[in-house]
Amino acid sequence: MNDNMKYANQIAVVKQECPEADEGEIGKEFARYESDFLIPPEDALRSVIRKFQAATGVEVSTNAATATPVREEKKVQRFSELGADDRNVTIEVAVISYTPRTQMVRGEEKRIAFGWIEDNPWEASSERIRWDYKDWGNKGETMTPGSVVRLEGASVNEWNDKRSININRTTRVTVLKEGGGSAPPAGSEPLTIARASEVEGFVSIVGRVLSAKPDVIVRKDGSGEIPIVRGKISDSSGSIGFLSWKEFEHEIGALVKIVGASVRKFRETPEIQINDGTVIEAYHDTSFPEVSELVESEKVSIADLRNGMRDVAITLQIESWAQRTFEAQDGNSRVVRSGDVMDPTGRCRLTAWCDFDPKPGDSIRVEGGRVQFWQGSPDLVIDNVDQVSSLSDAPWEKIDPENHWVEVDLTSITQGGSRRGISTTGTIVAINSGSGIIERCPDCRRMLRDGSCSEHGSQRGEEDLRLRFVLDNGVSNANLFLGKEPAEKFLGMNMEDVKSEISSIGKETFVSNLRSRVLARKMAVHGRCAIDGQGAMLFADRVEIVEPKPAEEAEEVMQRWEVSL
Amino acid sequence: MGGVTLIAESGTRRGRQSAIRIFAQEYSESSLIERGVGEFDPSFVITKLGAKVNRCLVCGGLERMERRDGDSGPFYRGQIRDPSGTHYFDVAPFQPELHPDAEELLARFETGDSILVSIVGRQKSNESEDGGIFTSIRAESFTEIDLGSYKSWMVEAADATLRRLDAYAASQGAELTEEGFRNAGIPEDLVAGLMKAREHYSEFDTEAYKVWILKAFSRALGRTEESSEVSINSDSGLVEKAPIQATESADPRDVILGFLTSNRGDMVEYDSLVGACTSAGSSREEAEDAIEHLKDVTKEISEPRFGFFSVSS
Repeated sequence: MNDNMKYANQIAVVKQECPEADEGEIGKEFARYESDFLIPPEDALRSVIRKFQAATGVEVSTNAATATPVREEKKVQRFSELGADDRNVTIEVAVISYTPRTQMVRGEEKRIAFGWIEDNPWEASSERIRWDYKDWGNKGETMTPGSVVRLEGASVNEWNDKRSININRTTRVTVLKEGGGSAPPAGSEPLTIARASEVEGFVSIVGRVLSAKPDVIVRKDGSGEIPIVRGKISDSSGSIGFLSWKEFEHEIGALVKIVGASVRKFRETPEIQINDGTVIEAYHDTSFPEVSELVESEKVSIADLRNGMRDVAITLQIESWAQRTFEAQDGNSRVVRSGDVMDPTGRCRLTAWCDFDPKPGDSIRVEGGRVQFWQGSPDLVIDNVDQVSSLSDAPWEKIDPENHWVEVDLTSITQGGSRRGISTTGTIVAINSGSGIIERCPDCRRMLRDGSCSEHGSQRGEEDLRLRFVLDNGVSNANLFLGKEPAEKFLGMNMEDVKSEISSIGKETFVSNLRSRVLARKMAVHGRCAIDGQGAMLFADRVEIVEPKPAEEAEEVMQRWEVSL
Repeated sequence: MGGVTLIAESGTRRGRQSAIRIFAQEYSESSLIERGVGEFDPSFVITKLGAKVNRCLVCGGLERMERRDGDSGPFYRGQIRDPSGTHYFDVAPFQPELHPDAEELLARFETGDSILVSIVGRQKSNESEDGGIFTSIRAESFTEIDLGSYKSWMVEAADATLRRLDAYAASQGAELTEEGFRNAGIPEDLVAGLMKAREHYSEFDTEAYKVWILKAFSRALGRTEESSEVSINSDSGLVEKAPIQATESADPRDVILGFLTSNRGDMVEYDSLVGACTSAGSSREEAEDAIEHLKDVTKEISEPRFGFFSVSS
């Protein structure tokens, strides 16, 4: 094989750096490195370029303005040691992410990649500094997320006062530690969609396309729109939404294998991102479930809703409905309709940005809805009236909204998502501070501390009544909040009475009396729950003390564990 | 991307520790302490059955309560008794907000009333010079409860103990890894603790646990002579005079006397007497106290030969 053909890629790179050099000479040089020093052309690239730069005087002629000689290697441990115009930098870094992208550079399509790297890679992440980087040199093979690499010949780029690292074609990347992070590297065995939803990073999956719709993302800076494709892909373990940054030509129902897509979380919902580096190919498996089967298992109920979900198909019963007109930012008036909806697993809010006017008690079917959060609970949104259809037959026995509480075990609550219309029980193990009469900021309703709001400063507070407990079942616990009305109902006195009682017996005695009334007692709670990284919060509409029935409880537990006396 | 979430996760505040329902015997037998590394990391007492106790909810009859004065101010010490044994608790000097309630409880106790108490508290442990571990509870809050709530708690504690016993049994056949434990169906909240317990404690007989679980059930069902409840509801002061007997279903003294009488004056070994009491539902400690009481206080039995007993003639 002719050296020039064998080394065509490398020669092109050298030619870019040293246009004067002769292709034949370059090819010979690569052949010499490979045969004499056993150095493959990729690794010889730097040396060859340097040689021809020196030989052809390119360095001087093309970079005359900056008159930069070949720089001394600058070896550093930390990003902080780098200056804004450092070139030929050697540093060891941890690769956090690698996102390939095709970009037009001077009218030419180029494959580049960007991502994050961290210095001090052998220490805990709290000891590290993270920088952006751009890979101009196609180092995807070695720059795998989770790995630790040594970069030789990288350069610092400064733009808008922010520094980043450029990895050039001539940069040598040496893997010091293979990436063995949470996500397997691209190209590995496909995961089930349920498993892929739990990881973050690059995955491969096999699934059937349930939906695919073109969409656009509007750049925040107003510089235009990016065309994308959104859809959903499913296997027998579950389904996951996808977002493709490149063309997606597979039809609904197609069975595909997606290799090297990244899983990211949008709010609380995992999503597969398909980018330039992702390979999608048709897959053949006659035993793979058909669309109809997958769609059937795809149906969700209110209990399954999570913030950020898209393409939701669900059956609901309307509890209440109202519309409201408001003035949008552009000055036009807009109408939004919303109400409460129920299913056997609970209730939530439904918002319609379209002409949809159901009556309470109607049964409806929503397709392609999306979920956002409203006051900490899921809010199902439809944007187009085509997304909803009326069901003539109720899918379940009509739910009585006055008495629709879904009993959920406290542990399931803490492990699930935020939802409304639930009831649960547990034992009160603490009365938290701030129980009783508090003062709220008239502007933001935050509780005042020493007459001052954390947002609005010193304020003349508005009095309010509130009780805060901790509900616990021995395995899980949740903060329980009773606002004014449920608290008045539970205490059996109105806020004024509570106020005068506290002023006569003192706050400590009030809390002490409350403690002897509720501590170690079982309490049934009806209301809604909100779950976040801090744990579960229950907002009660109503609570009641559960009177102990030890004999019945004992029988039940003995039966559960097959114990007899 | 990946890194961001990792940081966010490790930076998230730990959730509140749930209150483990636990009988005194399981807690007091523990000798494995896991101390939190960071300043705000919780510490745990890990029991033989793998319960990781940072916070617990316990109930029982108040058996002792006193105020003491320490270097950093007054504090309170007490004991509560449940069907299995005794929980030791204290109210620390740095919890002045609890002192009025502690003072009230102390006053109630000193009147001689029998009081049932519920305590939510954090684990505490002291190590003696010879390496022994003494576990106790630092109360976070406490209150007097009624009999119904006490019975209800006993059922919950029995339920929780049976759940741990079940997990312990499942762990016997399982591979000693977290994955192996999960595959054996061990609930998530017990996996880590049970793993450490299996590594730390030697094999032990779980039968003893079942004895006080059954006792708890029979009380909750109201099937036994409610000697404890009788004494607890009366103002007789029985609790103070004979606390051991007061909370027992089958009085170990009756068991011992009955046993010796049926042997028609033949001498019976110490261990057999204890065994008779424990199979009648008393704890070992209670049996030993009863033997001592009969021998030294009421002199109804005698010890003609060391370790052998008969009815006093």
